[in-house]
Amino acid sequence: MQHEEPDRSAASIIEFCRFARDNGLSIGVQQTLDAVEVAKTIGAADREELAFALRAVLTSSKEEWHRFNELFEMFWSASQRAQESQSEESKEARFRTHRSQASSRALLAQSANEASSANREGKDVSGASAQQRLQTVDLSDVPRDDLAALEQISARLFRKMSLRISRRRHIQNLADRVDVRRTIRRSIPRGGDPIDLAFRGKKPRKQRLVIFLDVSGSMNSYSLFLVRFAYALQKYFRNVHTFLFSTNVVEISDVLRNRDLSAALRGLSGRAAGWAGGTKIGESLQEFNLRHGGKLLSRNTVFIILSDGWDTGEPAELAAELRKIRRRVRKLIWLNPLLGLEEYTPVTRGMSAALPYVNVFAAAHNLQSLLAVERYL
Amino acid sequence: MTASAKAHDDREITDVDNLAQRFERLGYVTDRALATAVYLVTKLRKPLLIEGHAGLGKTEVAKTLAAMLGTRLIRLQCYEGLDVNSAVYEWNYQKQLLAIKIEERTEQTVEEKEKHIFSREFLLERPLLQSILAKDASPVLLIDEIDRADEAFEAFLLELLSDFQITVPEMGTIKAKYVPYVILTSNRTRELSDALKRRCFYHWIDYPSFEKEMKIVRARLPGIAEELGEQVVRFVHAVRQLDLIKPPGVTETLDCAQSAMTLGKHRLDVQAVEECLGCVVKSQEDSARLKAAGIEKMLS
Repeated sequence: MQHEEPDRSAASIIEFCRFARDNGLSIGVQQTLDAVEVAKTIGAADREELAFALRAVLTSSKEEWHRFNELFEMFWSASQRAQESQSEESKEARFRTHRSQASSRALLAQSANEASSANREGKDVSGASAQQRLQTVDLSDVPRDDLAALEQISARLFRKMSLRISRRRHIQNLADRVDVRRTIRRSIPRGGDPIDLAFRGKKPRKQRLVIFLDVSGSMNSYSLFLVRFAYALQKYFRNVHTFLFSTNVVEISDVLRNRDLSAALRGLSGRAAGWAGGTKIGESLQEFNLRHGGKLLSRNTVFIILSDGWDTGEPAELAAELRKIRRRVRKLIWLNPLLGLEEYTPVTRGMSAALPYVNVFAAAHNLQSLLAVERYL
Repeated sequence: MTASAKAHDDREITDVDNLAQRFERLGYVTDRALATAVYLVTKLRKPLLIEGHAGLGKTEVAKTLAAMLGTRLIRLQCYEGLDVNSAVYEWNYQKQLLAIKIEERTEQTVEEKEKHIFSREFLLERPLLQSILAKDASPVLLIDEIDRADEAFEAFLLELLSDFQITVPEMGTIKAKYVPYVILTSNRTRELSDALKRRCFYHWIDYPSFEKEMKIVRARLPGIAEELGEQVVRFVHAVRQLDLIKPPGVTETLDCAQSAMTLGKHRLDVQAVEECLGCVVKSQEDSARLKAAGIEKMLS
């Protein structure tokens, strides 16, 4: 193993940091300095230990953590080979070679990633007017070329929305400190001096969100985005439970909790049964009430149904289940993509049976309408 | 080994292997990656952020580190809505009010009185302040489940972790005499800020390999029959392959093995698994999924 001993001079550590940064690890100047110091601290240890030590400094997430070993191998084996062949060349030139060699290998391994990041740059420069247009276009009419751009805008806007909501809640929470009224009451036996301060409880209640998302055939063109909407909410709220339904119900909260959206979507395709089939809202809600109702429905719950209301089941059953939910939750919101159509009126049997129990009935056909949901949370 | 050499041995951590051995002596089976990270914490005094699923011994790292260094462990359990008052300091209002009352008739000037009631005597020290006020040696500060606290608190923590000083407006700035060893843990329920992650070393703790988990079982349950231990570990490994909501961690393995021992089992059969099922899966859905997968099949 002696010949594989990596060169651990400060220059090569710095070179490695630069290489790792070029390959997508987020490394700043401070990390680079730390890496040099760490390599010094570890001292004359073996290659494995150096790898562990540098990994502890240079990564900061599970994804980077798993990528690191590959980069480490790539860099040091490339530099090893270069060292053997051109040992007589000046140090400066040698490092330059390492770099180009190493990064060309990295490029090969990363072409897919590369392509997507180039794409991202392209999207970022799409002008404000295009963004405006995309926010209002009906989600089922998005041209194929715009899908990626829309996806990106929606991710950003959904994130902003969720942050706004959580901040708002936070400020409300700050208001509860000393309870003046009870403090004064308690001070009476002490001659009016407020010795015992009474505090009001910190969090009166935590809001829970249950999202019930229709993935039947008629919702096909919308469900793609609505899943992302659910994903965004899930990501920034702790207490969100998401269910997919068409003819039966599947909980997907755990899949959506995945930090990488595309991984989450892949997980979904494995999970969803009867995706793009018929709809039985009433039956699905019944199943939900039976299995999860007791656990998830309370006065702190906001229940959101995302569905077009095309139901092949019994309207009476739908109404009965909705009544059960309505009795137990704080707010029942029905978002209907069809409401965006001018000629649409909610006269389908299912929808008209449901309306009496719904607190908020709103559209969900484009980004703007989805963002408007913030008002009700 | 002479007494003085031993004392020396107790204090000085010579290298990564030395640290790993000491951890093992304290009942914490570690691997070289984690040992390296902890070694760097002791040498460079940067915080270490440990992420991973529940029940894999994240919190235990800090406890073992404190035990190894023979120093105090100060623990801050994070939760939603955790604020500076319960994490750093709070004035003892009741005591202050009483003091004002008592001093009412004394000759002190208002300034003197004010200085008195805003002195250390009236300060309630919460974990973060405690960690900075340590008088004789660096304590280990464990900030547990940082992902549960909100962003505002994270931002505050950043300031603390870079300077190890806390400013109390009425008293001025308190700087740490002994910089604490800091371990943060997170279950990844939300993304931490980049700034915080950059301040820390990072370690991702994964489910252990079969051999490592066996070592842990042997270390933690010294009385266990080898065969039973192996069966439990193999079974839990098979359960982790299922798509469960809460896959069992090492804690669950230990619980399961412990219960099997307590129930007087010598080997793990279907009946034994059913009796100990509550140790491995913690929800009705998971238990249904496990049964659907076939317990018998997973034991073979």
